[in-house]
Amino acid sequence: MNNFCSALWKTAGVLVLVFHATAWAAESPLEVIRGTIQRATAVLQNPTYQGKEKFQARIAKVREIVEPQFDVQEIAKRTLGTYWQERTEEERQQFIHLFTELVQKTYGGTLDRYNANVQFFYDQERIDGQFAEVDTRIFDPAQNKAFAVTYKLHQVNGKWLVYDVIAENVSMVRNYRNQFNRILSKSSYQDLVQTLQTKIKELDIAPPSTTTRNTSAG
Amino acid sequence: MGKFLAIILVGVVSWGLPGTPVQAQQGEPPETRIEDPWEPFNQAMFTFNLKLDEYVVHPVATAYDAVMPDAAQRGVQRFFTNLGVVERFANNVFQGKLAGAGQEVGRFLVNTTLGCAGFLDVAEPVFGWRESPEDFGQTLAVYGADNGPYLVLPFYGPSTVRDTAGLVVDGFLNPMNYLLPTWQVIAIKGGTSAASAVNYRSMNLDLFENVQRSAVDLYGAVQDGYIQRREKAIRE
Repeated sequence: MNNFCSALWKTAGVLVLVFHATAWAAESPLEVIRGTIQRATAVLQNPTYQGKEKFQARIAKVREIVEPQFDVQEIAKRTLGTYWQERTEEERQQFIHLFTELVQKTYGGTLDRYNANVQFFYDQERIDGQFAEVDTRIFDPAQNKAFAVTYKLHQVNGKWLVYDVIAENVSMVRNYRNQFNRILSKSSYQDLVQTLQTKIKELDIAPPSTTTRNTSAG
Repeated sequence: MGKFLAIILVGVVSWGLPGTPVQAQQGEPPETRIEDPWEPFNQAMFTFNLKLDEYVVHPVATAYDAVMPDAAQRGVQRFFTNLGVVERFANNVFQGKLAGAGQEVGRFLVNTTLGCAGFLDVAEPVFGWRESPEDFGQTLAVYGADNGPYLVLPFYGPSTVRDTAGLVVDGFLNPMNYLLPTWQVIAIKGGTSAASAVNYRSMNLDLFENVQRSAVDLYGAVQDGYIQRREKAIRE
């Protein structure tokens, strides 16, 4: 009986240790990126979500997987730059919502160009305290081209979240910041909101498969 | 006259027109706001270039893309790249990148002969010699010249005062200038530039569409994209 009890306690002890170890082993930034992309591409390859009629469902499912990995508040704050300080809490929430819509509508369509032959390479990660960068490459055999994409992450409550994406040496945050700064330096915040709403509507009307050439310089 | 203009441009740029520093965000290096005092002119040039692309370059490139296999397009790009050896070699030397300079010479000799006038890149797979793309705009930056005001050039596209001065100087590095009459040089350069542009555009038909799709302010998106890519090129 004693032997059995002590064996039971030992097992319990080991189980407790294992549980804590797995709960405490925070995923590395590279693993976060890899895991997210793998889960997203699994959805795109899933037969349940194939076909034009399933487009919205596909996008919604991918969004479910991808969006939680992004620190949307931080991204929105950085794209407004110095203009974030002046915004009320309500305006900030409105902006975050609009910006998320914009990005989702813009890039949601490009997901349709994904095919099973596209390969992802996770080259390296660099961690510096609360900040990290993950270098990846996307190789498209159809075009025989590789695109370099670097993700910048920071830790929020022990979780690594993405706050910038650098595609082919162009930081998305910086690029949007230049655009928004230009608009805000010449007109009001309400004008920016209007511009964003118009753009979102335009993206709704013209899904990515139609080639509409918009030559207004903006 | 051209040389005089080049010297003036280089002088203005080297004197330096520093940009306005922007407060650095946590985890990011400080960056400067892009100076754009000539925006009305730049907007006009930008619109001109957009229309030129919409009505001329894109249609021509689309037709070209339909008849030229992808592999051939890549070959043509390598051919035109090969021709730029003199400016790359010189700027590698100016920046003290002697290894890069050597590789450029090696690449040119090997690719022009074994690589069928540059259509094939034999140098990299066989000898490991990689392209070392440097231009005089980058050289000026390495020596401390700031961008100067943003400048959109007709046909050529986004640039800065420094990079334009760089283009002018690189133009003088071309041996053709000293062997042929000026009008022939212009015709040949114009012709090769146009052909190279069409080929490049055919390899990137969707690229600009993606930018147009994602941009809220297209002019600002292109402007920032150019500046960021230049910064990366200078750092390398």
